[in-house]
Amino acid sequence: MEQRNSLFRFSGLNLPKSQKLRSIGVYLSGILFAVGFWSMVDAAIYSKTVNASIVHVTFVDWIPFICSTLGMIIVNSIEKSHLLNDNNNNSSFLGGGSNSTTWQARVILFFGFSLLAGGLAGSFMVFIIKFLLKHYTFPTLGMGVSNIICNGCIMLSCITLWLSQNIEDEYSYSLAL
Amino acid sequence: MNPLNKIIFLSAFLASGFLLILLSCALFNNWKPLWVIGIFLVAPLPNIIAQSVENHRDDFLTFSNDHGNAPSALKEFCQHATGFLIVSGIALPLTFYHSHLIELGATLMSIIGGLIVYSAIIVFIWFFSVEEEENDDFNF
Repeated sequence: MEQRNSLFRFSGLNLPKSQKLRSIGVYLSGILFAVGFWSMVDAAIYSKTVNASIVHVTFVDWIPFICSTLGMIIVNSIEKSHLLNDNNNNSSFLGGGSNSTTWQARVILFFGFSLLAGGLAGSFMVFIIKFLLKHYTFPTLGMGVSNIICNGCIMLSCITLWLSQNIEDEYSYSLAL
Repeated sequence: MNPLNKIIFLSAFLASGFLLILLSCALFNNWKPLWVIGIFLVAPLPNIIAQSVENHRDDFLTFSNDHGNAPSALKEFCQHATGFLIVSGIALPLTFYHSHLIELGATLMSIIGGLIVYSAIIVFIWFFSVEEEENDDFNF
């Protein structure tokens, strides 16, 4: 029991457990998400107004953002207690019933992480194919860079939200026992 | 400090925030920064809604107290939305400035005015909820 309680092998590396830190994490993830979203909106408005080149932000540039956002919603709406409870319940009387829930949760979580990674990879792909291979210079290149910033920030936001929820899980667990 | 003074000072503070945003629109005859008021007025709403839902949840026969310190998903989503809205209020004038839709002065004035409006609302809520419950320290 003592080993499963800690996340890392070294005891000094445990995540700090407090309610306040968790709130800060959730706010921080919202802030990071907004930074990503607004960098994308900024690129779109920029391409409509002061953009002197012939390249414009079209729907193709928004596809990585949509993928990342969907992935973030999926990953963070999974109930995380379903992911870990198969070790406890495999040999108990609940056996098969909870196993299928765990399996479903893992498949959906896998889709979520694939969407997140696909969003980030897609932003790099749009940047390389649409901007970098045609040798545009920097004011035009900035629209592709902001696309990468957008997807990177959304991924960081997702990581922050996930970590802060894990803080609370351990906290309530140690309180319950 | 009695509540009347608090209300008077806070309303003056709030009015100066509105004044800054309106000046940023009127001085340049360009009314796009007015959206900042809307964003910063909406920004405290998610936490207020989450707080009232949590308070009015019926705990009588449902054993919903057992999750103890773990906040509900609704509260968490509202905190996330609050962070999103605050950064939106700051990022909207910056985006307009980057696209040459508004001037630099209008950008700075609308950002500062919006932050003043938001902090006035938060301080108002904090002043008048601190007498009811004193343990709730991190709800902005």
